[in-house]
Amino acid sequence: MESLKILVVDDEAPISSYLQRKLTKQGYMVYTADDGEEALRQAFLRLPDIVLLDVKLPKLNGIEVCKILKSDDRTKDAQIIMLSAKAQSDEVQQGLDAGAVRYLCKPVGFPEIFEEIRRLHDKGEALKKGRS
Amino acid sequence: MIERLRVRFERMGIFPKLLFGFLFLSIVPLVILGYFANKNLSDTGLQAVQRAEEMGKQNLEAAEEIGMTSIEDSVSALDKKSTEAIELRTVELAARIADFLYERDKDMLILSSLPHDPEKYRHFYSASKRDVVITEPPLGGQEPSPLSPVQSSNPENRTEWRHRSPQQFKKLSKPLYKEITFVDLNGMERIKITDGQVSRNLLDISKIENTYCRAEGYFTHVKDLKKGEIFVSEVIGEYVPGWLSITPDGITIKQESAYAGKENLQGRKFEGIIRWAAPVHDDLDRKIGYATMALDHTHVMEFTDHVIPTEERFTVHSDGGSGNYAFIWDHRDRCIAHARDFFICGYDPSTGKEIPGWVSQSTYDEYRKSGLTLETFIRQLPSFRDFTQKKPACKEQIKSGCIPLDCRILDNAPQCQGWHEGTEDGGSGSFLILWSGLWKLTTYAAIPYHTGMYGKSKRGFGYVTIGANVDDFHKDANITKDRIQKAIAREGQTIMSANSTTRDLIRRSAEHNRKVITIIAVLAALAVIGASLIISFHITRPMKRLTEGAIAMRSGNYDQYIEVTSKDEIGQLAHSFNEMAKAVSEVDKMKSDFITIASHELRTPIQAMLLGVSGILGGFSGKINEEVRQDLELAKTGIERLMRLVSNLLDLSRIESRKIVLNKSETEVHEIVDRAVAEVLDLANAHGHTIVKQIPPDIGQIRVDKDRMVQVVINCLSNSIKYSPDGGTIIVKAEQNEGEMIFFIADNGYGIPSWAQKEIFRKFFQADSIMSQKVGGSGLGLTITKEIVENHGGSINCESPLPDGYFPGLPLGGDRKGAVFIILLPKSSSRHGQA
Repeated sequence: MESLKILVVDDEAPISSYLQRKLTKQGYMVYTADDGEEALRQAFLRLPDIVLLDVKLPKLNGIEVCKILKSDDRTKDAQIIMLSAKAQSDEVQQGLDAGAVRYLCKPVGFPEIFEEIRRLHDKGEALKKGRS
Repeated sequence: MIERLRVRFERMGIFPKLLFGFLFLSIVPLVILGYFANKNLSDTGLQAVQRAEEMGKQNLEAAEEIGMTSIEDSVSALDKKSTEAIELRTVELAARIADFLYERDKDMLILSSLPHDPEKYRHFYSASKRDVVITEPPLGGQEPSPLSPVQSSNPENRTEWRHRSPQQFKKLSKPLYKEITFVDLNGMERIKITDGQVSRNLLDISKIENTYCRAEGYFTHVKDLKKGEIFVSEVIGEYVPGWLSITPDGITIKQESAYAGKENLQGRKFEGIIRWAAPVHDDLDRKIGYATMALDHTHVMEFTDHVIPTEERFTVHSDGGSGNYAFIWDHRDRCIAHARDFFICGYDPSTGKEIPGWVSQSTYDEYRKSGLTLETFIRQLPSFRDFTQKKPACKEQIKSGCIPLDCRILDNAPQCQGWHEGTEDGGSGSFLILWSGLWKLTTYAAIPYHTGMYGKSKRGFGYVTIGANVDDFHKDANITKDRIQKAIAREGQTIMSANSTTRDLIRRSAEHNRKVITIIAVLAALAVIGASLIISFHITRPMKRLTEGAIAMRSGNYDQYIEVTSKDEIGQLAHSFNEMAKAVSEVDKMKSDFITIASHELRTPIQAMLLGVSGILGGFSGKINEEVRQDLELAKTGIERLMRLVSNLLDLSRIESRKIVLNKSETEVHEIVDRAVAEVLDLANAHGHTIVKQIPPDIGQIRVDKDRMVQVVINCLSNSIKYSPDGGTIIVKAEQNEGEMIFFIADNGYGIPSWAQKEIFRKFFQADSIMSQKVGGSGLGLTITKEIVENHGGSINCESPLPDGYFPGLPLGGDRKGAVFIILLPKSSSRHGQA
């Protein structure tokens, strides 16, 4: 089985490297980006299955990144999980409108993140099975 | 009352305060001043008028008094003048009569010296004549001429020029003597001239029956006369009776009576004589007889018969009824000349006896009782006994027609006594007497003729009296009096009308002043109101803006700027306010920035910690033993609490700075409550609490920000959970009431003391300060709750302990006092489910 590709976008390097380390350990291919532009570059280059996208980012914010990814054929199928400290419903709604599949509020524990990824993974497997 | 006024005053706005203050300070003194000024003015004016009136009245009274006094003085002066004039006339009349009589004495001496020759006697008779006024109609005299227009040719004589043409009476030259005789020593008449003829009828006059009226006793007297001595008799004549008819209208005189001037023109006149006699001697001086002359008494009567003491001066026919006439009394006080001839004393020619005088009724009654003859009774009657007008006149005598006036006994005519006494010394005078209801002046003057028996008293021949009605000679004085009274009345009226005018003037001017003061007061009031408005506008408008700014600042909008132009205290205040607002705004921004930054900066390490700790606990970093797990759980609890605090701080900061936008939508009440309950269920279960939902199934929807409202309910529920002993019950209730949605979150926990029921909504209120137990919490949850509810236009309150019986499902007692949060949300933001 080809491992799932996950793009972790967070301007805090310790957090992105922690997530990369832990998720890699769980068997995913993990790429990181620390700003919006880098996120787009990586996404178009790696074509991730799942994107863990922080809303607050330098250069381009998460919602804009999400919109671009969803509007591009290469990345439109990527499952995007938004992460933000801003728990306001309007932002959540913005994120969901932009095409995010989930919205997690920071601070969030690793088990919750992993749970979401696994759920999406399972769903993706099911879809693949259904398709094949 | 005062307290209430003070409170009311304190609550007033600046404008009414200023207005009242200004009005009080300006209008009230103005009005008071005006009132007193006007009052004083009008009072003073009215006092002046009153004073003037009093003075006028006094002047009038003085004038009246002076007028009356002067009238009285002038009346009395006029009276005195008139009296004097009449007195003078009386005296002169008396003097003329005396002169006349003395002339007769001369005649007598001349006659006695003449040779006793009938021709000489006749000649003497013819030469002795005198004019008498003809009274018989139609030969009566003319009316006196009125004042004629004759003027003096010299203008200097024209002042008070009074002229009177002579009074023309028809007169007849009448012999002075009725008879002239020469009588021999035996009393035998030797020569007798009567009617201008030598009489053949010579009588012995020593016998009284041969004399005039059988009444002359002169022969007995003449025998004793020496050469040059003269005998003069009294007046002797036949009494002519008269009949008075006394009616209430006055006295009328019957036609058959004697002549009585105007009152009885055709009556018979009294005729009488006064006998003069003197011895005649021959060349050898031997007495050879006596010459006598009988003076026709008419000539004596003529002196008074035409006298009238009025302007008329003289009259043909005297008027006894008018009271204005002259009369003569002889030395025995008998009337010898009168307007009414029946009053003249006379004799009965058949007996030669004197007719007794008229007496009062009482005296007459006395006579009747005396048994004497009337003549005898009267002769022995004392003179002037009890004279008074009170006595009525004797009616019997009036009836008999024999009413001659004999002053001596005429006891109902007191003036007789006055005349008698006044002439005692031969003098003259006057007095007033109220006679027949009229004041009469009566004058008297003795006739200074003292020949023969008339020389025995100073009264002489007798006396002349003139009666005059006082009113008649008061006439001028009365006219003056009338004029003065009219003038005073007119003057009085003038003064009164002048005063009334002045009074009106003062009243009008006072009224005018009142109007002016009122207008000034109104204008001043308007000016004050205007000034108050302007000032208060200048104060209150910036104040209002300041207040609005302050209110806005309280709501968290610190960007306030008050436009100010003035440099006064208000301007300074506004300036300070702007400075403050700026400072506060900066501080607020700094605070917001700080919180945002701090939150974010705090959040990143928290996120890192949480990731690490949760990863280890989740078993992503390999197997851990139980002790490590417990330690990491402790760390995670701390991290979570720190996380909530930061989150709440950020929330609150946003809510307070109105940086949040409510995302309102129609939301099922049940959904809100269910979500909230679900959120806290784990915590509640951990403490053994039961959450009971008591919401009608059809409660419907409410238009709110769903997530925020869920947060509200969660916060309340969390509070209940935290502050209840384990194993409690929490009731969530919702109901609609009058367009409001009411939520109740009630518990049977420790309760909240009343003083803290408001404090709990304050930021960082330390619940621990009221709790014996330590309960974790940021101290911001209820503050955020309150902010959210109020942002929805609602309110939140807390009540504790629970009212009895209101929540029967919550058993109370002991520590369980209970508390309830009551959240009210306006209907405008709610909509019924069925709608």
